[in-house]
Amino acid sequence: MRETRETSSSTADPRQPPAVKPYAPPRILADELPFDYAGFLAVIFGITGLMFRYKICSWLAIIFVAKSLANMKNMENDLRQTFSAVS
Amino acid sequence: MAKPKLGRWQLAVQGCLSVRGDALFILLAVLFIFSFFLHEITRCSVVAADFEGFDADDLEYEDEANDAFHSQPLKKPPPPSTTFTQSSTPESHHSPPPQSSSDVPATASGEPAEKPYASSTLDFWDDDEFEGIPVQIEEPRPKSPPPSEPADVAGAGDGSTVQTTNRRWRHSSYAVEIVCISFLIVFAINFFIGKRQNELIALCWASQFATKDSIFDKNFSLLGTGDGKEDAPLLLKEGQDVFKFYASGRRYCQSLLATMELRSRHDLIARVMDLLLTKRDTITFEVAMNEDAMDHVVLAVARKKTARSMHKEAKDLQRFAAVMATPPHGRRWVAEDLMVVTESKEVAGDLITDVVIDQVFGEKAFDMFGKGFISLHFTDQHPGSRKKLLLLKFALPDANNMADMTRLVTLVPYYIDVIGRYKLSAQARTKTEAARVKAAQEAFKEMQSTRQEALQKRKSEKKKSSEEAAEGKQSAEAMRKKQEKERSRQMKKLTPKVKMLRSH
Repeated sequence: MRETRETSSSTADPRQPPAVKPYAPPRILADELPFDYAGFLAVIFGITGLMFRYKICSWLAIIFVAKSLANMKNMENDLRQTFSAVS
Repeated sequence: MAKPKLGRWQLAVQGCLSVRGDALFILLAVLFIFSFFLHEITRCSVVAADFEGFDADDLEYEDEANDAFHSQPLKKPPPPSTTFTQSSTPESHHSPPPQSSSDVPATASGEPAEKPYASSTLDFWDDDEFEGIPVQIEEPRPKSPPPSEPADVAGAGDGSTVQTTNRRWRHSSYAVEIVCISFLIVFAINFFIGKRQNELIALCWASQFATKDSIFDKNFSLLGTGDGKEDAPLLLKEGQDVFKFYASGRRYCQSLLATMELRSRHDLIARVMDLLLTKRDTITFEVAMNEDAMDHVVLAVARKKTARSMHKEAKDLQRFAAVMATPPHGRRWVAEDLMVVTESKEVAGDLITDVVIDQVFGEKAFDMFGKGFISLHFTDQHPGSRKKLLLLKFALPDANNMADMTRLVTLVPYYIDVIGRYKLSAQARTKTEAARVKAAQEAFKEMQSTRQEALQKRKSEKKKSSEEAAEGKQSAEAMRKKQEKERSRQMKKLTPKVKMLRSH
């Protein structure tokens, strides 16, 4: 009995159009965003480079800014969120 | 055949680039570059100033000394000042006073008048104040002739060496800039190359498993995050290395979300780090089951190391499940590499069917097809908003070999059906029920305690605010009382006169 039931339902189309749920992207608050290490390091290097006048620190800051921009994620296409994440 | 498109992300990227945030970072970068150039210019100007300043001072001293000496005839012709003009060894210039003093005893017998002049030059020459000057002053002198004759590079002596050191200094000062700018150029090139590689992998997967007549098309009525029309994009690009595929409209489950996490090929620094730490392209299927479709199931299957870490990290596995050390009797079981963590052995035995063992988890099958399998986690006590979840994690093969993971991907709809239909036996149900009731009670207690804490906080805050208001009121009332008292006193002063008059 069980097997026939299984086979019948397995051969039947598993799709159920009325049961469709549209995509709801998970809401992530700005506080809970994954920490942007590259951006943080960029700020640290930039400040060190400006304060102590080390050339290489400032160049490393620029490199880390580039890395942070490259890893930017558009979670909800929210411009404000991406701006806060980048900054 | 609809080609899978990445529509949403394109709009997002365009919107992102047009935003102020990007401009702010470009401005910051420009500020940093500007600070370097300032730094370089100030350094150059300071070094030049050293030469210029002392050059002028030296000329003055030279003239005075010359005048002082020419006014009196001298036996020994070279006065200390002229030694500056000669490009002799630097050592002689370190101590002009001793030299003049050595001059003095030589000529002391003949001209005692020389002495006061020697002492006067000594006054001009304070050794401590002008230490090191003679060396520096010497350098621009030979420097001035060579720039006028740039072809004469073979000039002997200090001049040429000084000039080449200056040239070398200029070249070496830009080494850092050259290295960093070239790194940035390589970074930009790698960004576009890596981005395309990641997109290619994602599109290959989608074309294999998500397009028309593919496995997901046959199982789900809605594919992709769009409106469900023909042109809607199938994949959602969240970042340069994260892609999502959504499907819905099937029996037993609400939705399926496949998240592809690829290596960060677009980021040069991450790419270098990946050489040290091995990271694989992974795809995680998250199936949200219907409330009535899933019975009490807490089960995880993975390689031994991964299984142990999952058992420690996942709260539901920690709480409800235990490692299944011995396989069930009289049955083929999963490969040696794999470990099963389950709440109930009976449930594990029922869910890891013979079909699955033959196809994927058995010894032979696992050697052939199991390389891409990472983990499997079925739970109805998931911590978070959705309680009933099936989580399957696989490694993605190369873009050209996508068909290798077909067997693994077929596990997904297979297990949706198996778990959707599965009902626990009475024994297993009683065992699992007890643990869950306990967990539910504890959760309820925790909720109550947090609610009480929140209420207490609110009450204390209200009290504080009311007290402050009362204090404010009291101060206002005190003022009013004082004013009233004053008025009554004034009134009293006025009224008695009238009364006295009347009485009389």
